[in-house]
Amino acid sequence: MNTQTITSSAQPRPETSSFDSDTQQLWLASGLLLITGIVPALFGNAYWEHSFQLMNIYIAVTVLQNWLFVDAGQKSFGQGVLLGLGAYGLAVASGVFDQPIAVGLFWGIVASAAGGLLFALPALRVQGFHLGFVTLSAAVVFPQLLLQMDDLTQGLNGISMPMRGLSEPLLLGVSTLSLLCTAAPIIALLFHYKMRRSRLGRRMRTAAESPEAARSLGIRPGVMSSLAFLIASVGTGICGLLFVPAVSFVTPQSFLMDVSFIFFFAVVVGGRGQLLGPVVGIWAVFTIPNILLVDLAHYKPLVYGFITLFVVILFPDGIVGTIEEFRQKKRKAGGGERAFHLTALTDWLSALPDHKAAAEDEPILTVRGATKRFGSVVAVDRVDFDLRPGEVHGLIGANGSGKTSLLNILNGFSRMNEGSYHFAGRDVSKATAPAIAERGLGRTFQTPRVFPSFSVWNNVRVGLDARETEMPAGLEQILREMEAEHADGMPTLLSHGQRRILEVVRVVLKDSPVVLFDEPAAGLSGEEREEFSKLVKLLSRKLGTAVVLVEHDLELVWSIADRITVLETGSVIASGRPADLVRDPAVQHLFVGGAHVDA
Amino acid sequence: MLGDLLMNLDMITTIVLRGAAVGSLFAIIAMSFNIVHNATGILNFAQGTIFLLGAFGAFLFANRAGFAVWIPMLVVVSLVIGLFTAAQGWLTLKPLRSSVEQNSWIISTVSVSVIIAAVLTLNFGVFGNMVHGPVPRVSIMGVRTPGAFLLAIGSMFAWYFILRWFLRRTFQGLAISALSQDFEAARAAGLDVRKLQLLAFGISGVIAGSVGFMVAPMISVSPDAGLRYVLNGFVAAVVGGIGNNTGTLIGGPLVGIVAAVTAFYIGGAYQDLASLLVLVLILMFLPQGLFGRAAARKV
Repeated sequence: MNTQTITSSAQPRPETSSFDSDTQQLWLASGLLLITGIVPALFGNAYWEHSFQLMNIYIAVTVLQNWLFVDAGQKSFGQGVLLGLGAYGLAVASGVFDQPIAVGLFWGIVASAAGGLLFALPALRVQGFHLGFVTLSAAVVFPQLLLQMDDLTQGLNGISMPMRGLSEPLLLGVSTLSLLCTAAPIIALLFHYKMRRSRLGRRMRTAAESPEAARSLGIRPGVMSSLAFLIASVGTGICGLLFVPAVSFVTPQSFLMDVSFIFFFAVVVGGRGQLLGPVVGIWAVFTIPNILLVDLAHYKPLVYGFITLFVVILFPDGIVGTIEEFRQKKRKAGGGERAFHLTALTDWLSALPDHKAAAEDEPILTVRGATKRFGSVVAVDRVDFDLRPGEVHGLIGANGSGKTSLLNILNGFSRMNEGSYHFAGRDVSKATAPAIAERGLGRTFQTPRVFPSFSVWNNVRVGLDARETEMPAGLEQILREMEAEHADGMPTLLSHGQRRILEVVRVVLKDSPVVLFDEPAAGLSGEEREEFSKLVKLLSRKLGTAVVLVEHDLELVWSIADRITVLETGSVIASGRPADLVRDPAVQHLFVGGAHVDA
Repeated sequence: MLGDLLMNLDMITTIVLRGAAVGSLFAIIAMSFNIVHNATGILNFAQGTIFLLGAFGAFLFANRAGFAVWIPMLVVVSLVIGLFTAAQGWLTLKPLRSSVEQNSWIISTVSVSVIIAAVLTLNFGVFGNMVHGPVPRVSIMGVRTPGAFLLAIGSMFAWYFILRWFLRRTFQGLAISALSQDFEAARAAGLDVRKLQLLAFGISGVIAGSVGFMVAPMISVSPDAGLRYVLNGFVAAVVGGIGNNTGTLIGGPLVGIVAAVTAFYIGGAYQDLASLLVLVLILMFLPQGLFGRAAARKV
C-alpha cells in the first residue's frame, strides 16, 4: 500500500473547536448547575434547595428535548407525559402497591419507554408536524387518563410518596437527592455533547437536516427519529423517577399540558441546539415567572406564551443562540475558509496500483425496460441501462429528458412503474434508497447537500460514517490532515463549487462500487473542474468504481466517459463509445452552437 | 322485544347524530387547516382556539338573542376573527422569510394558541359557559335534537361547497390552488404569494370563527376546549388526507362517531384517547389518509 509521506505542515488539532462553542457551553452549564444544585444546601436554605431540585430535573428534561428537537429534528409537545409516566410508574408500584423501590424504578422506566413507543412507532412512517400533533394529543389525554384510572393513580388526590432517606444530608449538608438532581442535567448534557460527536449522532442529524441525503448514505430517517424518541423517552422517564422524591407526591396537576409546553418553550427561548440553552431557557420561562408572578399564577401561561412568540419572531436563535451568532459574526470577519482541494485524494489514488479488471464485462448494474410515470407524464420511458465495474458512463440530454429521474430510480428514491433493476447480483426493483446505498451505491445532488450545523470536516465525515469497507492506511493520513484543516471550517462560507467538491469527497469516502454524480461540474472553477475529472478517471482506474455522470458540460463528458447514453423525452436515443457517438446523427443537434469536441 | 329494539334504535340514532354533529365540527376545522396548508405548507396549531373565539363571540354578543341580533353578530364576529387570523398569519409567516430554521411556524402557532387560551382564562375563568342560540330543537326519527347539531352538519356542507366554488371558480381561489401545486411556479407567474397566503389565513379564520359562533350551544365554551378541537380536527384531516376537503367530509364524522361511541360505551374521558389511537393507527398504516395523494418527490 501507499506510504507516501505528506510534506505539508498539518497543524495539531486544538482541544476545543472554534466551529462551535459546545465545549465552553458544556462547562458553563455544568458550573451553573453545580452552583444552583449545591450552594443553597451548603447554606442550609431549604426553600432554594428544594426549588432548584425541581428546576434541575426540568432542565434535564429540557436538555433531552433540545437534543430531540435539533439533533434528531423531532418536535415533541409531549415530554411532560414521559416525565409523568416515569414518576407515576414509580409511585404506583412502590407508593400504592408497596413494591420495593427497585421494582418501582423498573416500572417507571418501562412506563416511560411504553409512552415513548407511542411516539416512536408513528415516527417510523411520518415526520414533522404529524408527530407534533401526536405528542400534543398525548399531552392532552395523559392527565385525563390519570384522573380516570383512579384505581391505580388515586385520581385527583394523587400518590404521596416521601422518600426521606434521600433528603438526609450526605456531605456538608448536601443531600443525596440534591446531588442526584444536580447530576441528572449534567449527565443529560454530557449525553448531548457526546452524541453530537458520535457516528450515530451525526447520522441522526443528517437524517433530520436532509432526509434525501441521509437515505443516499444508507440512513433510514424513520428508524433514526424512532430511536431518538425512545432514547429521549427513557431519559425523561428517569427524570420522572427523580421527580417523586423531589416533590414527595405526584398528582395529575403536575403533568398538565402546561408542563410539556414549558419544556418546549424553554428550548426555543434558550436557543435551539445550544447546549447552554436549556439552562437559560428554564430560568427564563419557568423560574423567573415563578418568582415574579408568585401571586399572579394565572398569568404564567400568558407570560411564557408571549416570551416564546417574541423570541421566535425577533430572535429565532434564542438567547444563547443570539449571543453565539455575534461570536460567529466576529469570526467571519476574520477571513474566508481554506480552499477545499481534491489533490490529496488524487495524489493518493495515483500512487495506487491499477485495479485488476476482474469481471470487466459483467455489469454490476442492469436496468431493463424502466418506466416511470408522474401522472400522465412519462419521465422515463422503457430505458435499458448497463453499468460495468470501472466504467465511466455519461448520461446526457436536454433539461427534462429524464436524466435525474433515471438517477432517482438507480439510487432508489423513486420506484419504477414497470421494468426490472438488478444491482450487485440482486433484484433491487423494489428496494429502498438506504438498502441500495448499503449495497454499495453513492450519489451527489444537483444542489449539494451541505449541512450548516456541521463543520466542513464533519460534513465530509458523514460519508466516512457510511463507509462499510476498511480504511486503507494511506487514506487515513490524508483524512487526519483534512480534519486538521477543516475541523473548524464553516460550510456556509464555502463557494458553490467548493460545496460540490465537498459532496464529491463525501461520496468518495463512502467508498461505493457505484457512484452517481448529478451535474457535478456546474459552478466549478476551471481548476476544480480539472481536479474533478482527474478524480473520476482515477476512481475508475484505481478502485474500479463504476461512475454515472449526468452532466451538461459535454466537453467534460466526452473527455472522461467510456460510454455515453443520450436521453430524449425519457427514452434512450443513442448509446455507445464517445468516438462513435459524436458522429451519430441523432446526437448531432446537441452540439449545435456548442462545444468543440475532440473525440 | 319490539320496545327494546326501538329503545336501541333511539340510542343508536342519538349516538350517530351526536357523533356526526361533533364530527362535522372536526371536518370544518380540518377544512380550515387545509386551505392554509395548501397555501403555505403550515398547519395552524391555533385553529382550535380560533374556533373557540367564535363561541366566546356568541357567548358575549348573542347569548339568548333572536335571529335579528344573532345573524348580524355572526357576520361581525366571523369577520373580526378572520382579520385576527390573517394578522396571526402575517406574524407566523414573518420569521419564515429570513430564518434558516423552517419550523418556526410550529412554535409561533402553538404559542399563539397558548396566548389566546390564557387570555380567555384570565377573562372568563376556567369553567365552561352555557350559550343559548336561536335555532330551536327539532325531532329527528323521534329523537329531540338540538338545533346546533343541525347547524353543525349544515355548515360543514355549506363551507365545503363554498370552498369548492371559491377554489375552482374565482381568481384568488385558483391562485391559492396553484400555490398548493407548485409554489415557485406560482411566484414566477407573478402571483402575489404573500397576499394570497394571508387571504388563506383570513378565510380559515372566518370558517372556524363562524362555525364556533353558530355551534356555541352544543360545545363547552371553556378556554381549554380549543385544544380538543384542533387535535380532533387534525385527526379528521389526516384520515381524509391532508389538503383534501372531500376527505374531511368522511374523516370528520368518522372521528366524531368513534368519539361518541367511545363516550357511550367506555366513558366520556376516553374520547380523546380514542382519537389519539385512530391518529396513531392511520399514520402507521395509511399515512396519506383515506383519500390523500402521494406527492411526487423532489430531489
